[in-house]
Amino acid sequence: MTKRLVQGNEAVFLGAIKAGAGYFAGYPISPSSEILAQASGYAAKHPEFKFLQEEDEIASANAILGASLAGAKSFTATSGPGFSLMQEAVGYGHKVGIPAVIVDVMRVGPGTGMPTMPGQGDILQARYGSTGDYTSFVFYPSTVAECFEYTIHAFNAAEETRSPVILLSDAFLGHLNEVVDLDTIDVPVVNRTLEPLASGGTRLFSGVATYPDGEPATADSDEFIRQYLENRENRLKISEKYAFYEYGWNKDSDTLVIAFGITRRVAQPLAPHFALFRPIRLWPVLGNELTEIAARYKKIVVIEGSDGQYASVIEHMLLRRVERVPLLGGRMSLEAVREGLDRIGLLPKESEPGSATAADASASASVA
Amino acid sequence: MAVKDKLKTDLFPTIWCPGCGIGLIMQQLATVMDEVGLDKTNTVIVTGIGCTGRMGAYMNFESVYTLHGRTLPVAEAIKTVRPELNVIVVAGDGDTASIGGNHLLHSIRRNPNVTVLCNNNEIYGLTGGQTGPTTPKGTTTLSSPAGSGFSPINLQGLVNTNQNAFYAKTTVYHQGPMRRAIKEAIEWPGFAFVDIASQCIENNGRRIGFGSAFEMLEDYKSSYKAAPRGATHLEPKQLGIIKNEEPVPVGAAKPAGPSTDGEKA
Repeated sequence: MTKRLVQGNEAVFLGAIKAGAGYFAGYPISPSSEILAQASGYAAKHPEFKFLQEEDEIASANAILGASLAGAKSFTATSGPGFSLMQEAVGYGHKVGIPAVIVDVMRVGPGTGMPTMPGQGDILQARYGSTGDYTSFVFYPSTVAECFEYTIHAFNAAEETRSPVILLSDAFLGHLNEVVDLDTIDVPVVNRTLEPLASGGTRLFSGVATYPDGEPATADSDEFIRQYLENRENRLKISEKYAFYEYGWNKDSDTLVIAFGITRRVAQPLAPHFALFRPIRLWPVLGNELTEIAARYKKIVVIEGSDGQYASVIEHMLLRRVERVPLLGGRMSLEAVREGLDRIGLLPKESEPGSATAADASASASVA
Repeated sequence: MAVKDKLKTDLFPTIWCPGCGIGLIMQQLATVMDEVGLDKTNTVIVTGIGCTGRMGAYMNFESVYTLHGRTLPVAEAIKTVRPELNVIVVAGDGDTASIGGNHLLHSIRRNPNVTVLCNNNEIYGLTGGQTGPTTPKGTTTLSSPAGSGFSPINLQGLVNTNQNAFYAKTTVYHQGPMRRAIKEAIEWPGFAFVDIASQCIENNGRRIGFGSAFEMLEDYKSSYKAAPRGATHLEPKQLGIIKNEEPVPVGAAKPAGPSTDGEKA
């Protein structure tokens, strides 16, 4: 209806509201704090939307799980260090089966790191950060409009999988302002799947291994394995509905660039020279799609804001060598990408056709 | 309804050791719930990790068995989303005051209308008997063979930083006062904390010289006295309920009172 400037973090918040979120708990941390601010402002005007600024991220993560059990679609937003603090709750949410969304606006780590600089160092943390085995869903948009769109998908996936779903963003994308018309983005919303607390039953929501009747199964390996495999199979089946990716740029190139989130935007001027595969669902890995597409290319290079976290994953999955262009220390620039490509001998020569401009290389999105 | 309808008696016997005090708390909680009309349609139980955490599994209510130390964020969120529900937290002293200490501090400050029953056995029982935040100074435990080196946390003092504090101290021996404390805590329109001294014979009592749970109960019987009428705080080994009916001005909280081993906070 109306085009206007929207910030990435704001789009995430608006997507959550569109998805039906009724509860937010969070703790201030750059570069995610705008989401907290949006939530507090919204709650002041909409009493049905509940908001709490917590004492820490541990409380935030556990509170959104409690709120979800009580009946509200719930979410929190943080950045790497806060996300680390939330990890125990992530695993708990997976074990118990609680829908919720955690937004991680990535900055440069480890530790307090570079709080205002963009990073992509939480790719593995988003998948493997909690103790034990679990099957998690992780989405990573790369435009402001997509921040809105995939936040809704994240809430939907949370409901369908009954698990905490991670929406990744980064300092660059979170603070990016783009002119968008969010009203034109239409994603059907999945309703609540979990019957709220005190519905008249006597359910026990426990992080401990239990039989379906609530009795402890803490020494029954067969029961544990049965539940785990059933859960994994169920989640992987659901994931087929969320196979989001972009495949485009110069598909006739002999090199496939894999980039996601903000790095895909940064690398855009290289469009004439490379094919692009951009996973939007980072986890579960888009194995079938990636295997089929990668087979068409002689070389694969992953451009990412970490020292090869996702490159290692892809290399392992495809069982073939994958080149790496790590953008470290928040240096998310075309110059850094070009330097990285030069180091591995993949920098296109200026005289090559199509190198003058990227304007003609419109990204063709093929989102399943 | 009868008291036993509040309990999943088909799951009995419980996992608690013979002589454990937790069952006495569950029994009085069930009694009060029956008396004031709490049932599975209007009440949720939130428990922490530790022996005490199993209580939710034995009660005919919907129950959330949270991560270690996280009862309060979960309980507060449930109460926020569903203010019509009674939210009752049952957790041990280690869960509440050590790993969950930061949440305790801030829940006290925010004053949500939740009831906390703290099973205070002065020990980490489930893990075998290590020093807890409530262990009296000098106590020999698995992790303090030469005696615990520090004074216990002052729960009364912490709770009293709430302008509308509700703090009750009781023991599992004193069933009448315990029942009264639980009832008043549930009816209190804010954060209410019931500090219940409870024996852990297997992983604490025997190591510090008690021969049986009965001896520990006898010790509660002889050592605890009712606080004088009108007391503004409880001295060590006093039973009573401290309520700030009139909000205390910020920065002028009621006297913290001594911690359980008598040392001034």
